[in-house]
Amino acid sequence: MSASAALWLSIILGSCAQVFLKRGVTPSGYSSSEQRSYLSLLRSPWFWAWAFSFVIATGLWLLAVARIPVSYAFPMLSTGYVIVAVLSILLLKERVPAMRWIAILVITIGVVVISRN
Amino acid sequence: MTPDARLEVRDLPLPLRNTTGQRILRAPWEWAALGAILLAASGHLIIKLGLAHAVSTALPGPILGRILHYALNPVVLAGLAVYGTGTLLWIYAVSQRSISFLYPITALNYVIVATGGKFLFGEAVSQGRWAGIGIVVLGVTLMQFSGQEEKRK
Repeated sequence: MSASAALWLSIILGSCAQVFLKRGVTPSGYSSSEQRSYLSLLRSPWFWAWAFSFVIATGLWLLAVARIPVSYAFPMLSTGYVIVAVLSILLLKERVPAMRWIAILVITIGVVVISRN
Repeated sequence: MTPDARLEVRDLPLPLRNTTGQRILRAPWEWAALGAILLAASGHLIIKLGLAHAVSTALPGPILGRILHYALNPVVLAGLAVYGTGTLLWIYAVSQRSISFLYPITALNYVIVATGGKFLFGEAVSQGRWAGIGIVVLGVTLMQFSGQEEKRK
């Protein structure tokens, strides 16, 4: 696998992991007011989907940064913020107001500036 | 879906409940999210410190033995514990707020690492990097005004 393929797969899988976790801690949908205990999370397939994706994404990330400069790889991580926002709309029915898109854009610019300096 | 009440008490609860199932502690999600980011950054730093030591004391031998040697280093274990605690806090924060809100503010990680490097190890932080840190903080501040739909009392 090429290093950039590993990088992108890592970012996409890492973003999916966060969406899986969110789905796992809200058992009856996004509007649920009920809470789950930590141990009951172990019975949720979404929790395991999170754990599995997280471990694979971390492995792919290490594979990628072994061959790609970190100063290039790090700002790429911010595309994960956009992926998570899009997935949260499509899969979790989250509402993403305009201000949140602006905030995501500003944070991404900040991350790019940090890693270019 | 009503979980078994006895199980509920025995579990490490989310959030903490007393025997009748009432919440006895409301950890504000703000602190949970910030704590999770801070602990993740510190955990990484401690693991890195421990690995540097473990690598220097590793004996030649099979790869599995060396991996075990790294993983059982007390400093690495401490780092893993800190990182694990951060993960528990993150799970709590995710249960309280939209993921599209929480995930981008993990960029504060870079801010913590840069300022931590400066004040703990005296590392130089360039002006451009300070500018980037300022922009991330601005973005996280803007995020606070991006809707409170899921915030609980």
